Amino acid sequence: MNYITTYCHINSESCKVNGAIVAENTGENWLKDLYLNLGIKYPKFHKMDTLSQVAFLASEFLIRSNEDIGKYKEDEIALIFSNKTSSLNTDIKYQNSYENGGTASPAMFVYTLPNILLGEISIRNKWYGEHIFTLFPTFNQKYFVDYPEALLGEYTKACLCGWVEVNNDKIEAFLFFIEKKASKQLNLLHTEQNIERLYKQANG
Amino acid sequence: MGNLKEDLKSQIIEQLNLEEVSVSEIEDDMPLFGDGLSLDSIDALELIVLLEQYHGVRIANPEEGKKIFQSVNSMAEYIIQEKKGA
Repeated sequence: MNYITTYCHINSESCKVNGAIVAENTGENWLKDLYLNLGIKYPKFHKMDTLSQVAFLASEFLIRSNEDIGKYKEDEIALIFSNKTSSLNTDIKYQNSYENGGTASPAMFVYTLPNILLGEISIRNKWYGEHIFTLFPTFNQKYFVDYPEALLGEYTKACLCGWVEVNNDKIEAFLFFIEKKASKQLNLLHTEQNIERLYKQANG
Repeated sequence: MGNLKEDLKSQIIEQLNLEEVSVSEIEDDMPLFGDGLSLDSIDALELIVLLEQYHGVRIANPEEGKKIFQSVNSMAEYIIQEKKGA
């Protein structure tokens, strides 16, 4: 049996790790505030689109709260992410940028695919494991059990899973880390019921 | 030429979203790629857009890009040279 050992929620109101609030939105630039809260110097963050920024921030808060993550080799952590509207928010911005007489931005074009966020997390952490980004009409807890269970084995020792959605000003990220053994921080079985419960916590 | 270089530095910061870099930190002869400002290949494409958008200058031969984008100095020289020839 596998375990959920850390999780992180970010929405327009707050950022929570393992259910505890680590930051609340009090200003106009919520994602930049969260970046500053991390106290890191990673200029590439400012070039990312909102979808990648949200995923990046959630991954950073999650990783720093689980000391075991650093023990895995560079290809032992799989990334399994999902959302509903792909990169639509950025696609529309990109379309607007050149339709109104402007010049298409190559930097914006890069983010017109949702799986770029997997690359951002991988580059940041120097991870080279399995990765997949899948679209579903709604959050799919069954997928987040079946796919990691199929991967976890000889090569993949842990999975960082995430549902990351951006729709205009509404942002939503739920990331969770699955390992073969429970951690000091958390001891939750990797089941559909637990994933659904944690996902709903974000809106509770 | 002095104003052009200062303008270029501000434009580079804005176009490339270099939020953690200030104009005073970019030296005229600082390499834009590699050890200097550490720009990447996507930034190079944005610099081409910048030249066209702000200065009306196009790079006809892509192979020239490496030389033009060495530093703020080389970008300014290219803009002046292109405008003289226009």
